[in-house]
Amino acid sequence: MNLWSYVIRRLLYTIPIILGVCLIIFAIFNLSGYDPAQTLLGKHATAKQIMEVRKELGLEKPLVQQYFDIVKSAFTLDFGRSWATKQNILDMIKEGAVPSLTVTIPAFLISTITAILISILVAFNRGKFIDKYLVVKFVGMMSIPSLAYILFFQWFFAYKLGWFEISGYEHGFPDFIPYTILPVIIMVVLSIGPDVRYFRTVILDDIYQDYVRTARAKGLSETVVLLKHVLKNSLIPIITYVVIQIPFLILGALLIESFFSIPGLGGITVKAVFDNDFPVIKAMTVLFAISYIVFTLITDILYTVVDPRVRLK
Amino acid sequence: MKMRKISICALLSGLMLFTSCTKKVDTSEKVLNLAVTAEVKGMDPIYANDKYSSNEIARIYEGLLEYHYLKRPYTLVPNLAESLPVVSADGLTYTFKIRKGVKFQDDAAFDGGKGRELVAEDFVYSIKRLADPKLQGLGWWLLEGKIKGLNEWREKNSEKDVVDYSEVIEGLKATDSHTLVFKLNKPFPQFLYSLAMPFTFVVSKEVVTKYGDNFLNHPVGTGPFMLKGGEFKQTSKRLTYVKNPTFRKKAFPVEASEEFKPMLSDAGKDLPLLDKVVVNIIRESQPRMLQFKKGKVDYNSVDKDNFDSMIVAGKSLSKELLDKGINLEVSPSLDVTYTAYNHDMKLFQNTNLRRALALAYDVEEMNKLFNNGTALPAQSVIPPGIAGYMKNYKSPYRSKNLRLAKELLAKAGYKDGKGLPEITYDCPSASTSRQIGELIKKQLAEIGVNIKVQQNTWPELQKKITKRQVMLYGIAWGADYPDAENFLQLLYGPNKAPGANGSGYDNPEFNTLFKKAAVMQDSPERTALYEKLNRIAAEEVPWIYGVHRQGYTLKHSWLKNYMSTDFEAGQAQYINIDLNKKKEMLNKL
Amino acid sequence: MENESKSLWAHAWDSLKKDKTAVFSMTIIGIYVLLAILTVTGVIASDWSKEVGASYLPPSLENPFGTDIFGRSVLLKTLKGVEMAIAIGCVTAIISTVIGVLFGLTAGYFGGKVDEVIVWFYTSQASIPGIMLLFAIMFVLGKGTSTLFIALGITSWIPLCRLVRGEVMRHKEREYVQAAAALGAGNRRRMLKHILPNIFHIVIIQFSLRFQMAIKSEVILSYLGLGVQGAPSWGTMIDDSKLELSRGVWWQLGAATFAMFFLVLALNLLGDALRDALDPKLKGKA
Repeated sequence: MNLWSYVIRRLLYTIPIILGVCLIIFAIFNLSGYDPAQTLLGKHATAKQIMEVRKELGLEKPLVQQYFDIVKSAFTLDFGRSWATKQNILDMIKEGAVPSLTVTIPAFLISTITAILISILVAFNRGKFIDKYLVVKFVGMMSIPSLAYILFFQWFFAYKLGWFEISGYEHGFPDFIPYTILPVIIMVVLSIGPDVRYFRTVILDDIYQDYVRTARAKGLSETVVLLKHVLKNSLIPIITYVVIQIPFLILGALLIESFFSIPGLGGITVKAVFDNDFPVIKAMTVLFAISYIVFTLITDILYTVVDPRVRLK
Repeated sequence: MKMRKISICALLSGLMLFTSCTKKVDTSEKVLNLAVTAEVKGMDPIYANDKYSSNEIARIYEGLLEYHYLKRPYTLVPNLAESLPVVSADGLTYTFKIRKGVKFQDDAAFDGGKGRELVAEDFVYSIKRLADPKLQGLGWWLLEGKIKGLNEWREKNSEKDVVDYSEVIEGLKATDSHTLVFKLNKPFPQFLYSLAMPFTFVVSKEVVTKYGDNFLNHPVGTGPFMLKGGEFKQTSKRLTYVKNPTFRKKAFPVEASEEFKPMLSDAGKDLPLLDKVVVNIIRESQPRMLQFKKGKVDYNSVDKDNFDSMIVAGKSLSKELLDKGINLEVSPSLDVTYTAYNHDMKLFQNTNLRRALALAYDVEEMNKLFNNGTALPAQSVIPPGIAGYMKNYKSPYRSKNLRLAKELLAKAGYKDGKGLPEITYDCPSASTSRQIGELIKKQLAEIGVNIKVQQNTWPELQKKITKRQVMLYGIAWGADYPDAENFLQLLYGPNKAPGANGSGYDNPEFNTLFKKAAVMQDSPERTALYEKLNRIAAEEVPWIYGVHRQGYTLKHSWLKNYMSTDFEAGQAQYINIDLNKKKEMLNKL
Repeated sequence: MENESKSLWAHAWDSLKKDKTAVFSMTIIGIYVLLAILTVTGVIASDWSKEVGASYLPPSLENPFGTDIFGRSVLLKTLKGVEMAIAIGCVTAIISTVIGVLFGLTAGYFGGKVDEVIVWFYTSQASIPGIMLLFAIMFVLGKGTSTLFIALGITSWIPLCRLVRGEVMRHKEREYVQAAAALGAGNRRRMLKHILPNIFHIVIIQFSLRFQMAIKSEVILSYLGLGVQGAPSWGTMIDDSKLELSRGVWWQLGAATFAMFFLVLALNLLGDALRDALDPKLKGKA
């Protein structure tokens, strides 16, 4: 099978997945029979108003129709308006995306690069003290709950030491930088542990492969073996792992954004949860699912470009 | 370990380079910097059902009436109206003269981009918008059934595809360009208060038509401030307002109640006194207080967990803060916190049981833990500051009395709590609400009553209340307007859920008296009736009363004319900033 | 040298015993489980809700972790929290393991249309962010501790299912399964009696991961007001401390973080050690 026919087949496969995602969302949000009246009308709602609102929102439509409305929104990205704020949801998402990304992208890059470097270092010294020590350290770091990090870092670095802005956000580069440093640091600290742990396993898995033994038997030095052979092979799982994290960047950082008043998608989601603002939650879910599907598609295709054997399976 | 330390240190020191450019406080203009705790939903007056949104809306929009800034008890004065209305002898017809020469703010929606003059027809349009069945304005309850013909108009149009605004409504007419006449179905003494609430603030048809669905993000009013850039972004955590250059001549009041006399130094000056207002939305309490301490926010309320470190002996500020010129402002708020019973349940129709639980509840302890002992334990439903409150009245079922509580519990048929089911207590999802629930659980356990605390998001809690799926629930009520009617209606039978009476209390005697009092104009007779109602509400224990809270606000020395008020709408125009003082004091922070 | 007669399990046990980290983490987990049993049976911390002093007392000899807002001992609350943490971890991990193994076995064993449907379903679910799904499930089922278990379980079975499916596919063509089939073993018997024991190491490793993830998720859910209701949990303690920190009350945050740290750390390390000991790919090579 050639590459193109694989790509097309793979693309076609996303259609049932999108339909499936919409089905799950539909099952949860539409079939649960949630009544939007309280979110929408506040404390003085009357039965008649509730009826009017349900009609207005299309909750009285046949279920099949409601399902296809979700599918449609996945393609048009028209999510309608928020129940709690009456704002256009797509506009909210557009406004919130940039601030979220100014925190998540730097954090993602820093933690990924640092983690890769550390795992190479650890792999070099596998089994030695520094390996065990670092692994325990990083696993330790990820054993502390994120809320504890946020509370402590904000209190200590921003309040006690006064190094950073306590909270807030400024639009436009480079104005946002003073506000995003501390959130970025916290995100890096949170994600570096799992990263190192995963990368180390991947690299070690490869070190024990036969071809590495062969290379070593040929008398190549450890450094050459590690950098030329092992790393090249570990690259595929590492890239897969990294690319699949990208959708999470879009989702933003729920707790960090709330605590640092960053006007991003994470904060929007938290507020939506507090307000039972279903259309917003639905929209964020659909948006994430779509980007997840897209990035899985990209990794799969990348995979086959790098390693044609995959296609044949 | 070393490795990690080194890498983190390197990271930190690299980043430290940026932090040196942390923003300085601006002292070139008179800027009011505020911190609020929740997001603003939008800028459409008819949806302003929460404090945060209505405060923002009232910077840009105005109504016919407002509360006198420097008078207590709260007094209505004309704002966009030229004077208070002429009321007909039967109390049904209200005639307003609209102030002349008031201009809408400049906007592309108007001819040539210049704001046109306000006319009476604008109010007719704005109030019809509030009643529009398609828009589902959140303040409709305020006028429902009150204005002649308005309900019928709403009814008729809910069937149509397009709402017809051209039809003339009998009770809502502009008789000439500057005269507005309301006709009511029945006397409604609180009607004037509703004209000071942001729901009824005036919008212009041109702007609504131009922006359509996005009108809520394009506020154009007649008020003292306008949004910088003109567009509201809901996701933004900072809103910046600038002075409206075409604002009419409006002067700082020249009269004041005794406690506000010192603020008269600005008397007669043109409003607004500020150049800019910056509103920061900060959800979590810790960053809010820290921003205040750095002088980046001009005033901030003190919450329970910051209290001890700032206020000593429960009354005055700590020396550290006094040296920085920070002042403390204490003011009672028109509110009541309470734990309501669901009276639809047979269980809670048992008066002895209700009284027993109320007596087991230690309001002092709750006051100490959650209000630092500053709040006033509520004897009944009406808070101090409005007619109907009884200063020296003590409810017999208020203070903790375990002996009596146990006695009553036995009398109710549940000796030592035997035979009682597990009682759920529903509360909002905030951490403090959960802690209050835990306290109630603990206190009621002392007489053998078993409570289960259940957290809910706000809409979920309201849904449960409306659907009667609650047993006990903790909640608070803040005044919509300064009239006891607004509190007593919470216990009026016909207001049962989904109305404001969430507990479903229905007492024929109370209902009859309330119905009578509700249509009376302010008078000693009405006050006597209010007091009677208040007494019934205390002795029948339809709720376990909590407290009337006190607001503790810290303010910086440069902030002038600020006081904490129950009706914050429009406050910013009166506030002043002493720039010299600010320059001087910032160095001490 | 490897002893051929030793099973994978015996071998794994041997290497685990030699691994100091593994022994250390198993000891810690053992202690936590013991504490949980002791609190459930009421031997210790049964009076956690009792006032032991004024509110917000700092740590002292009497109250090693100070007191909380109601003057309750933070130490006792933390101990009582062990029970909830172990319960959340265990129940959630069991739910997710059962679902994951069931679907994984079925998909891998039967293949074809059944496989396609299951793969389609979990690929779809995997595309939905866990936190949204959690929120939605808790909303539909109503709040409460049992809902918390179910929601966390339902949202975490996919990785295990994927792994099991892959392994089963490899195993089902093996001789021993074929032999069992020849002897007349039915599908169910072949799946449960023959294949499952051979892939059980994956289940165990994943179990330890799910266990610690559930404990960590509870903290975030508590922040959103979706956490444990009515009983002390580390999540609610940490949520409380977000308000208390500004008045200098750090001990509640400290105690809960401390308690959680050791349990989660031990579970993580054990997971690693188990993988090293049980994963055939690494077996005998490390």
